[in-house]
Amino acid sequence: MSTGTGEAIADTARLGASDAELAELRTSVRDFLATRADEAAVRVAMDSERGYDDKVWTQIAAELGLPALALPTEYGGDGYGLVELSVVAGEMGRVLLPSPFFSTVVLAATAVVASGDAVAAERLLPGISAGTTTAALAVPDRAGSWELAAGELGVRVTGSTAEVLLEGVAPLVVGGATADVVLVVADGPGGPTLYEVDATSAGVHRTALRSLDLTRRMARIDFRAARARRVGEPGAAVPVVAHVLDIATAALAAEQVGGARACLETATAYAKERMQFGRPIGSFQAVKHKCADMLTRVQVADAAATEAARAVDGVPGAPEPGVAAAVAHAVCSEAFLAVAAENIQVHGGIGFTWEHSAHLYYRRAKASQLLFGGPAVYYERLLRRAGV
Amino acid sequence: MPSEPDDSGMDQFVAEARAFLDEHATRRGQTSDEVVWGEGEDRITYFSTDPPDVEAAKVAAAKSWQKVRYDHGFGWIVGPREFGGRRLSSLHDLVYDGLEAEYDVPDTAVLSLIGLGMIGPTILAHGTDDLKRRYLPAMYAGDVIACQLFSEPGAGSDLAGLATRAVRDGDGWLLNGQKVWTSVAHHAAIGLALCRTDPDKPKHKGITAFVVDMSAPGVEIRPLRQMSGGAEFNEVFLTDVYVPDDHRLGPVDGGWGVALTTLMNERASVGGEGAGAAGRAVGLPFLTELVRANGRLDDAAVRRRLAELFADQAATGYLNHQALRRFRAGEQPGPEASVSKLMYAQNLTRGAHFAAEVIGPRLVADTGEWGTFSWTELLLATPALRILGGTEEIMKNILAERVLGLPKEPSIDNRSPFRELRRSGRAGE
Repeated sequence: MSTGTGEAIADTARLGASDAELAELRTSVRDFLATRADEAAVRVAMDSERGYDDKVWTQIAAELGLPALALPTEYGGDGYGLVELSVVAGEMGRVLLPSPFFSTVVLAATAVVASGDAVAAERLLPGISAGTTTAALAVPDRAGSWELAAGELGVRVTGSTAEVLLEGVAPLVVGGATADVVLVVADGPGGPTLYEVDATSAGVHRTALRSLDLTRRMARIDFRAARARRVGEPGAAVPVVAHVLDIATAALAAEQVGGARACLETATAYAKERMQFGRPIGSFQAVKHKCADMLTRVQVADAAATEAARAVDGVPGAPEPGVAAAVAHAVCSEAFLAVAAENIQVHGGIGFTWEHSAHLYYRRAKASQLLFGGPAVYYERLLRRAGV
Repeated sequence: MPSEPDDSGMDQFVAEARAFLDEHATRRGQTSDEVVWGEGEDRITYFSTDPPDVEAAKVAAAKSWQKVRYDHGFGWIVGPREFGGRRLSSLHDLVYDGLEAEYDVPDTAVLSLIGLGMIGPTILAHGTDDLKRRYLPAMYAGDVIACQLFSEPGAGSDLAGLATRAVRDGDGWLLNGQKVWTSVAHHAAIGLALCRTDPDKPKHKGITAFVVDMSAPGVEIRPLRQMSGGAEFNEVFLTDVYVPDDHRLGPVDGGWGVALTTLMNERASVGGEGAGAAGRAVGLPFLTELVRANGRLDDAAVRRRLAELFADQAATGYLNHQALRRFRAGEQPGPEASVSKLMYAQNLTRGAHFAAEVIGPRLVADTGEWGTFSWTELLLATPALRILGGTEEIMKNILAERVLGLPKEPSIDNRSPFRELRRSGRAGE
């Protein structure tokens, strides 16, 4: 990060969990989700008004302390890094947990930390850490690619220097309909600038959208003279968003691997038990090789996500973070989508029913792939990061 | 291994290895990844195409470097002391390889890939003390090159379907049959041969392993010319080749267990980093310069394919790093290594075809232009990557059955006597 005080926040000692501690974290999250977020529970949550189970979210914060895991210790966090956060994201992705975790912790809190604004961090992070504040991050660039250029943002600053007002539209905001606080990048006097808006205030109009991904909903947010507070320096949002993008795509990659592995396991289990022509279908090489291809995809994606998290955390020997995050975003997006589609194929007709979980993963896979711009954007970003 | 190898004293080992290498080899200068387009040798080699005299010189250099290593305690780092080894851990071996890679030393693949990497451990595991004493020190000292007489025209993926016969003859055995795809046979002093000793038993249960003297009467080696033009492999014909019984490896009809030892030692590093000329050529820096030189750096379709290729290459590299980290932490490589091999073949193949697309028609004939026709060498080599060391299809079976636990195909050939099976190729009968 290049923004002044940002380094002070970002550089506070990051704890690194041992392999045993990571395994323990994985087990505790998996066990919790197995009892509180099985498929039936996920379906109830996705059909509910808010789109997630608030009780489960409260427990995730109060009992497991997951929102605090990777936040700085001076704001109520545990001070761990993306390696640890990725374990949580992976487990949540595995069960398609509908939750404000991604929008609040991965996107919004990361933006606040990256802004280097200690006052905003003091104001927002303790609540996020405790799970009592949910937040969303709106980056309303016209292309939806999270690549910022001044004058191309859908939200701009109006009003006087005494009172900042926002005007415009953020058409696609993850978790935007339920967040308590919305962070939004708007065109300000010095260029793209991060602002904080109380989501329930006058001038903020939120519309929950019918979403492809039933387990992670999107919202449109209209800002009509919405009162806002600046977060970070004027015109400083470009590097902030770039940094958020690295962390968010790497965390998303871990989540995608979790989802992909669930698809692989479901397909493999079905291939062992489904009998046709007097044999388990998994004994036919056409099916068996499909499963092997899925495994190959998942293993490579897993390595990419793991390496990206290590890179972002600055683990010695890890590759350059920008490249590793871009590699993971591309590879894990492609892998999850391919594996989710093949999961349906291995299941045959039953896999195309509403009752089967396969379509929920397929929906998540497609929506996640497009969340930060999609293939055309992420491949080009990868080349740029690699210096081509 | 008879007892736990020594995994301690790494610092001292490194210091000792460094001193040895400094004394006997030249440290390479700082190697740069930077590509200067149009400069350097215009070759993208995968298989060797050296003329015989050059090849012979390289083999001699490999043997003498192995001898130097051996004389200074680095010839067989993991081997038992009584046969010339150091009885250190695989990690020491790996660390030594890493250090040696910083020096300009002869390539010893002709010795190590098959002989020291696969045949040596097999003799160690299954040989009599006499056999071990006779061959292991000589192999690791670089005097004896060994080859693997496994595959046959009628037994490729289904190795246990091999038909080369071995029948009792006094104190020994007479071998008859044909082996194929035998690397380094023309340099080898010995070969590890799998032979059918009882065709009335099911196919896995009538095989016996022998150490064959490659200079014995009746052993005929013919180079096998590959589709890429060179002849890196051989056919080996065995006609009434006499092998004394003390050169039998393992029990009579117990050869399948011996073969499994050899195959387990097949280095997982087939799917390694893609070093060498081919790996460098399909890497991002070189391909970027290729695209630039052909004026296509702004072509969106080309950029997209380049990025897709690079993403998979980088992720495969991360997978290999992860495997190495786990190996260093004491984990043994599992069947997951097949993933690396599949990806390696795929990445190299895609890289070659990407280059071909960028170059276009100037690739189809040698116009003398640098960086064009040279790609044909790699294009003609890549089909082999999906076959050698286990075909893609067999690799996928391994992943599906051993990692995912999917059921095997119902077998129709595991219980019937070998002689009743339907087979292709009838060599050895």
